[in-house]
Amino acid sequence: MDALLAEEQGRLSNVGCKCEETGIEAKQKRVLAGQRRHPVTQGFSNVQWEKLIDSLPCYVTLQDRDLKVLWSNSLSQRDFGSPTGKTCRDLYRVDPSKCADCPAQKTFQDGEIHSKEMMLTTKDGSRVNVIAHSSAFRDDAGEIAAIIHTAINITSVKDMQKQLILLGQTVAGMAHSIKNIMMGLDGGIYVVNKGLEDKDQDEVKEGWEMVLLNFDKISHIVKDIIYCSKEREPDFQRVIPNNIIREVYELFKDVAARYRISIELELDESLQEAMVDPMGFHTVLSNLVTNAMDACKIDVWKDTHLIELRSRRAEDGSTVVEVADNGIGIDKDIREHVFEDLFSSKGDKGTGLGLMVTQKIMREHGGNITFRSRPGQGTTFVATFPGNALPSE
Amino acid sequence: MPKKILVVDDEPHIVKYLTAFFEDSGYETCSAADGEEALVALRREKPDLVTLDLQMPNETGTRFYRNMTKDKEFKNLPVIVISGIPGRHLAVSKPVAVFEKPIDRNALLDAIKKAIG
Repeated sequence: MDALLAEEQGRLSNVGCKCEETGIEAKQKRVLAGQRRHPVTQGFSNVQWEKLIDSLPCYVTLQDRDLKVLWSNSLSQRDFGSPTGKTCRDLYRVDPSKCADCPAQKTFQDGEIHSKEMMLTTKDGSRVNVIAHSSAFRDDAGEIAAIIHTAINITSVKDMQKQLILLGQTVAGMAHSIKNIMMGLDGGIYVVNKGLEDKDQDEVKEGWEMVLLNFDKISHIVKDIIYCSKEREPDFQRVIPNNIIREVYELFKDVAARYRISIELELDESLQEAMVDPMGFHTVLSNLVTNAMDACKIDVWKDTHLIELRSRRAEDGSTVVEVADNGIGIDKDIREHVFEDLFSSKGDKGTGLGLMVTQKIMREHGGNITFRSRPGQGTTFVATFPGNALPSE
Repeated sequence: MPKKILVVDDEPHIVKYLTAFFEDSGYETCSAADGEEALVALRREKPDLVTLDLQMPNETGTRFYRNMTKDKEFKNLPVIVISGIPGRHLAVSKPVAVFEKPIDRNALLDAIKKAIG
């Protein structure tokens, strides 16, 4: 290990000697020299140097030309197990397709430092995002004997990056929806003005309805955004779920009728109080009914449509709410994306926020949401709110 | 005889808006809520221009355009694309004009006048 450090220092000071020594280089030299003399490292034995490298807070491996791992540090052994007889690909369980432009191989070729972002899989199967660097480990003759590979865990940074991307997409999605709403408002105002000019009461009414409908759409988006933000804490109360279901029913039944969709209730009247966040419960239900209505509206194969709101108690005491429609159904290729954040099959008429918010609320309740669907036949979403116990958060 | 415009949009309120506006500007109008209806309206009403929303679910707008251009009679019918998503109009090879929602209705009227008078 001494050889390594001497080599490294030699290399660093050589860089400075090529030209006139600048202030910075001189300082670097002093710092390096200073490190040598520091009481902690002074007189370090080989074992102690090894210990130092071993306890680095990143994954360190030493690899030969065939990428066989010759040595790995404690952190690497803790998360990925023993390296004996393994290549880095085996040890870190890297997808072979991701081994293109491998930094280690590049370092063997040109002796330079190379870096790459990678995804590793630990021995217990969890995935870790890392930034991997490789540098040459030279023997006394200056030949590359091995490479040092360090991987720094950047999973939390990656998560943050994902959140930012998500935020960007949310804003873009919302901008599209708002454009659509603005066009609706524009149209409503135009028709109202025209009605006023023509003294045509019906036209005024029609235009005003357009304004109101688009106003509602804005309120809905704003509500979704509030739910997406972390600030809002769920307000758990003892409520009778059927009452909220009836409220949602009242809210939608007239609008639905305009599209020849009837909404029916099939409630288990023996259902008692449940511990839920009433506003969240309401939002889950109205999001599901909105989706069901959209599924009916675009289904041209049936003349009339039906949405059923059902409630029942599961054996374990959970409250189960179902929203069933006989609309267009969910195609196979869309199925797996349904619960993806910001996914929408409604073009620029959807933000993809609805089911994202719904899922968030269900998580807050410690519950879950699933669906079953047959293309062309209809879809049923099933939301399960656990029994009376508060979710452990 | 006034020229006739076919408005294709799945949002009834947008249809109401555009037809009211076109009628006020001296055009005749007809409308369709999806691509299939639009094909029927095309043959029945023989419009002089089509305004087409490309964001209708199931890509019916794009499909309608493809079907329309396959028909010799309507191959060269002027189409104005009204879209909420930039770049979506690329599905229509030769639109007379492209408008993003919310539209500037006076600019839209100018484009129509330029196309069919």
